[in-house]
Amino acid sequence: MRVTDLTLGVLTLLGGIAIFISAMGFKAIPGQDYGAGTMPRAIALVTVLTGVFLIVKAVMAGERLPGLRLAEWTGNTAALARMAAVLLLILAYILLSPVLGFLTTAVAVMLLAMLVLRVRLVIAVPVALVAALAIQQSFGKLLLVPLPRSPFLPFLW
Amino acid sequence: MSVVADAAGLVFQPYVLLVILASAAFGMFVGAIPGLTATMATALLVPVTFFMEPVPAIAAIVTATAMAIFAGDIPGTLLRMPGTPASAAYVQDAYALTKKGRPESALGASLVFSSIGGIFGTLVLITASPVLAEVALKFSSFEYFWLVVLGLSCAVFISPGSPARGLISLFIGLFAATVGLENPAGAPRYTFGNVELMGGVQFIPAMIGLFAVSEVIRAFIHRGSDEKPPATGNRGIFREQLTNMRKYPVQALRGSALGTAIGALPGAGADIAAWISYAVSKKFSKTPEKFGTGHVEGLVEAGSSNNGAMSGAWIPALVFGIPGDSITAIVIGVLYIKGINPGPMVFITQPQMIYAVFIVFLVANLMMLPLGWLAIKGARQVLSIPQRVLMPIILMFCMVGSFAINNSVFGIWLMLVFGIIGFLMEENDIPIAPAILGLVLGPMLEQNFVTSMIKSDGSFIAFFERPISAGLGIFTIAVWMLPLAMLLLRRKGRGTASSEPSN
Repeated sequence: MRVTDLTLGVLTLLGGIAIFISAMGFKAIPGQDYGAGTMPRAIALVTVLTGVFLIVKAVMAGERLPGLRLAEWTGNTAALARMAAVLLLILAYILLSPVLGFLTTAVAVMLLAMLVLRVRLVIAVPVALVAALAIQQSFGKLLLVPLPRSPFLPFLW
Repeated sequence: MSVVADAAGLVFQPYVLLVILASAAFGMFVGAIPGLTATMATALLVPVTFFMEPVPAIAAIVTATAMAIFAGDIPGTLLRMPGTPASAAYVQDAYALTKKGRPESALGASLVFSSIGGIFGTLVLITASPVLAEVALKFSSFEYFWLVVLGLSCAVFISPGSPARGLISLFIGLFAATVGLENPAGAPRYTFGNVELMGGVQFIPAMIGLFAVSEVIRAFIHRGSDEKPPATGNRGIFREQLTNMRKYPVQALRGSALGTAIGALPGAGADIAAWISYAVSKKFSKTPEKFGTGHVEGLVEAGSSNNGAMSGAWIPALVFGIPGDSITAIVIGVLYIKGINPGPMVFITQPQMIYAVFIVFLVANLMMLPLGWLAIKGARQVLSIPQRVLMPIILMFCMVGSFAINNSVFGIWLMLVFGIIGFLMEENDIPIAPAILGLVLGPMLEQNFVTSMIKSDGSFIAFFERPISAGLGIFTIAVWMLPLAMLLLRRKGRGTASSEPSN
């Protein structure tokens, strides 16, 4: 997914305007002219200028809207599916690890991720198990990160 | 001289040396894992140092941080995931060298010049610390404002591609930095009522997302092409560095000196030092076009710079009790607990302590060479694992690292969002580095900007009224003008070139 300079300029300009409008409601320090809105307004101003610069440059170069070039991989259904898979796996970890515990979720997520990448089961299963255990031991035990416990495997903590 | 002997006696004890060795290994481990920073290494060490005497406690922290700053280069070089933010400035060059099959060149240069920078910084710390700290003490919000703007400008102009795209990246980072309650008026901004967002966008999950998760997403998409890990040659890690030393002595010295000076400024640490040094190196290079394509020059300069800054940060910390960065801030807390109040008086009442610190610095930076060699040898094996097996594990590391910052899944949400943003940015040739710097320096920029504006009653002239501030300001504006001037010069050059044949 690649946008052209013109589209990028328009998006930047709109983003700058949006920041500016949203920053108008921010309070100043009592008794001062400056406060919470100062910095966002400054960012908005320079963002707008950058957007205008990009638009002018693109128009001078003869670009036209809509400008969106699709990368080669976007035509490949399998590639798109793999991209969706990795995002879904992250989501699954976020939602399931507090319920199922770290070890169970981590093994499942890594195993599925490797299967998506077509790693053979003979390799994927032991690697996922060892990696999950290693991470749990180093982060959970050594660095005292309270990784969510697995209800099925309480003896490892 | 007896003071130095006393200090040496404090350091060269089996127990202290063992502590140094253990904390070195610990620093290497933490620094080499993307998402765990040198600051985190320090923070994790503090509970352990409570049970130690002052000298081993300081030795543990100094060694661990020095190692972590170097070790951050290892995943940066091998996997394009800087282990610490200080490594992000030159990760492009280091990774490009790995792609060319020469990871040893990048890692060797990082290691040797990290050590050189660290030793240089220590020598400055020993000799010139009071003078440098006094200059830094005179800084007000105006000077800090310019210093931050200078750092950010450098980030935009060193990024590959057009400055406009670099600016867009910077604004994404600066905007993300405005989220939360941490602002001059203490008003919630862009939090949408979310309690976790009130604390702001956490740097670590954002960095993991932008740098690592975007890479993981890409690896999943391009599975078909299946990038083979580059073959590593059998060249020695240290062999090329003699050549580099002969080739880039000025760069090494300039990086060390600039890094130390920047580190000595309160608030500006190894991260900003690496960025500025990389930019300086590119600007003064005879071959600036090679930067970003696997060129060692910038690595040499920025690599010595960030370790120089690590030592330099201790100058204001020891002499005036002002932390130079987040690590020395933790150290100052430890020193107070040990009954040592950092400040000019320590030099008079407990000089052997100060000298012991100096000796520890030298030992840590020298020990970095053999230990770093071991770490590189070990870490290189990472590359022999196929990417398809490695990427799911890295993904898990990313999620655990993002979780570990606040022990909350909110960090993983942030990581996911920034991973998608980073992926889209790279698809559109928008560099990621300026966004990271904007996120880190945003709060400091805002604080100094708003403070300065209030102090000057909204007058911009005040930003140039103080001599150092004026100097920094003019220098910053000159950096802005450079690309414009270059463009004009190139046009002029092209104009004469095209007119010549017709003549």
